[in-house]
Amino acid sequence: MIKDITAGQFFPGNSLLHKTDARFKIIILIVFLVTALASSSTAAFAAVLAETVILVAMSRINLKVILRSVKPLAFILAFTAIINLFFVKGETLLVEWKFIHIYKEGIINSVMLMMRLICLVIGTSVILTYTTSPLDMTDGLERVLSPLRFIGVPVHDFSMILTIALRFIPTLVEETEKIISAQKSRGVSFDTGGLIKRVKSLIPILVPLFYSAVRRALELAEAMECRLYTGGKGRTRMKVLHCTAWDFIFLFLMTACCVGVFFLNGYEII
Amino acid sequence: MAFINVRDLRFKYREDLPTVINGVSLEIEKGTFTAIIGHNGSGKSTLAKLLCGMLAPTEGYVEVAGMRTDDEEREYDIRKKCGMVFQNPDNQIVASVVEEDVAFAPENLGVPSAEIRERVDNVLAAVGMTEYAKHSTYKLSGGQKQRVAIAGILAMEPECIIFDESTSMLDPSGQRDIVETMKKLNREKGITVISITHHMNEAIEADRVLVMNGGRITADGTPEQVFSQVERVLEAHLAVPQVTELMYKLGKAGKCTPTSALHAMEAADILEPLILRTVPVPASEKSAEQACDAALRLENVTVRYGVGTPFEKVALKNISLEFPKGKITGIIGHTGSGKSTLAMLLNGLLKPEEGKVFLEGEDINQSKQFTNSVRFKVGLVFQYPEYQLFEDTVRRDIAFGPRNMGLEDEAISERVSLAARFCGLDGAALESSPFEISGGQKRRAAIAGVIAMRPQVLVLDEPAAGLDPQGKEEIFRGLREYRDSEGATMLLISHSMEDIAEYAENIVVLKEGEVFMQGTPQEIFANAEKLFAASLDVPQITRLFLELKKRGKCDRTDIYTVDYAVKTLLPYVGPEVEA
Repeated sequence: MIKDITAGQFFPGNSLLHKTDARFKIIILIVFLVTALASSSTAAFAAVLAETVILVAMSRINLKVILRSVKPLAFILAFTAIINLFFVKGETLLVEWKFIHIYKEGIINSVMLMMRLICLVIGTSVILTYTTSPLDMTDGLERVLSPLRFIGVPVHDFSMILTIALRFIPTLVEETEKIISAQKSRGVSFDTGGLIKRVKSLIPILVPLFYSAVRRALELAEAMECRLYTGGKGRTRMKVLHCTAWDFIFLFLMTACCVGVFFLNGYEII
Repeated sequence: MAFINVRDLRFKYREDLPTVINGVSLEIEKGTFTAIIGHNGSGKSTLAKLLCGMLAPTEGYVEVAGMRTDDEEREYDIRKKCGMVFQNPDNQIVASVVEEDVAFAPENLGVPSAEIRERVDNVLAAVGMTEYAKHSTYKLSGGQKQRVAIAGILAMEPECIIFDESTSMLDPSGQRDIVETMKKLNREKGITVISITHHMNEAIEADRVLVMNGGRITADGTPEQVFSQVERVLEAHLAVPQVTELMYKLGKAGKCTPTSALHAMEAADILEPLILRTVPVPASEKSAEQACDAALRLENVTVRYGVGTPFEKVALKNISLEFPKGKITGIIGHTGSGKSTLAMLLNGLLKPEEGKVFLEGEDINQSKQFTNSVRFKVGLVFQYPEYQLFEDTVRRDIAFGPRNMGLEDEAISERVSLAARFCGLDGAALESSPFEISGGQKRRAAIAGVIAMRPQVLVLDEPAAGLDPQGKEEIFRGLREYRDSEGATMLLISHSMEDIAEYAENIVVLKEGEVFMQGTPQEIFANAEKLFAASLDVPQITRLFLELKKRGKCDRTDIYTVDYAVKTLLPYVGPEVEA
């Protein structure tokens, strides 16, 4: 069902990753992404792999849940891996059959690429999306980006939009299901007919959904005005993000890993 | 000076649109509880927005705590003093977590963090939502969401709260919760409460009632004063409480002096000395019980949601039911009792996990094609069906169902006209855009869209929710006409005991996914104790008869409509019996 879209975003918990300050997590994530993308040698890559495994262990989130986040990428992963397998040329030829040439380097390359993508996805999930509440996340993002205010970027508006979007996703998903049921009851069938007919059958769903989203937006704006919202100026927050020694240690360790990977790039294992 | 001061107020939304508020002057004192009642389109919601400065008057003025609402510099201060809770609970919650949402207003005010925390804890306690502080707002019930919305307003420490039809989308227990909260805030915190509503049982809780009609205030006084002017209230397309109507009708028949009563207790006090002989149980009114064929039949149906997850929930437990042909069956139950699941089973939107559903003796889930054809035979009108409208004219929207049936143009237009007639839509409405007509007309257009398929069975989930008394009556009248002329079977799902009592010929009471009671309205309402035990209510008029029975004045409690009550009481009341 459509409900799966929203399932599994944030998993409340008490792990070290959950306790890390959201602002730090955003910076740490960037460091992690740089680390993963910068690793070019097999030795460096092994380090990234180890780092990812440690992060997963730290998050204390069920391994099944984490692997599920990779599932939607299966096709892209397989596709890039196969392309790499066939088209990367190297020195050690392993298979030669008609126009197909598979080199040892090709295999290493495609495996590494695949693993790297998986590391990127899992790293992002455990560092940020799975372990940070939506509100902390938007709040953290607002703080991290706040220097951009000085060059005229509406950072607060951006984070408010994000907060509201997250709040309304389940409401609109439920509404979509309701509209689909209502139109089905009026005899629309979504699973028969040609492509054009199928696309056309979406109109009775999209028009009411769009209308309702606009109506909700107007009512929400009114309600927000009533609650004295005038933009980001002069706003305080109930929950103050505060950093601890751990946040600095974590950031330091991750940065050290990053430097280490650059160093390891000079060595090959295989 | 009064807290809110209104002088010669007039308002129109645009120069070329009609005047909505047409000369209103009034004063509202600090710490009072005022109800403003009026039919849809009477201008009551517009007045509410004018009172808290969300709209600026076209003529005249509004003063809140000495500040004029048309003074832009005071706009912010007025909003701070005068908060508003809206109709749709979903559209006024900003954050995903309860306490974060409640903190929104003080955060905007720039209150220091520690104080926000304190305020949030206090207001959540005031509305009884402390234990939900960390919950996701999305998963709450309607009544709980509305309490969060109230807490969100309270957190900015206003002196006045305006409730703009805040209970109209809630079920009875949610409604009671919100009304209790209003009373509590008024009595204990001294907050000025203004409640805009068309639920009369809410209006009678106020200190003062204002009746709006055509942009004017046509009656103003205590609930007793206002509702004793029954004719004036009816003139404003409103209704009076059932016992008030009963006393009015008895008075008109010369049986008692025109006194007003708002509650069942008061009516019992007035009637007790007037009833001269105990009303006996009639020698069993022989009900011509013809054995009716069943149009729809459920056989041992079980439905579960989320099987295999920790959220597994049984929606219907091994249910067997029959819905007699050509009859209106009312289905009552709490939110979560399985009513809506039942509706979705009947036209194959949902397949039963166990058991079967039969339409005219045939299993509706026997094949995909058959299920598709059942969709046209069993028409399903969802709650708030106006959300399904999408075409550019109402006419085309109503034609959508018949067109999906593959009918000829001629047959389609014939069905559209017929459906429009049952639903009381005139030619002008048919040519309008479904997004531009009034809320009541949207509801009718959506119902017409299902009726146009000419279903043998019509299932309606809360068809009158949120409508004013007159709109409600018109819709039910149209539906009954459709049943009478087409011989269709009708299933009416509702929270409202009064509506079910008025229109249903059979009643099914669901409780936690099981059939709790089943029978004629008379049989069901005669068992009031059983209904109370399931924390369901009975119509107010039935409550009166329960009270009269307790006082030994009447042996019957199976009376559920006002007209029936009048008929029953007339021979036993007043001086004529003595003579």
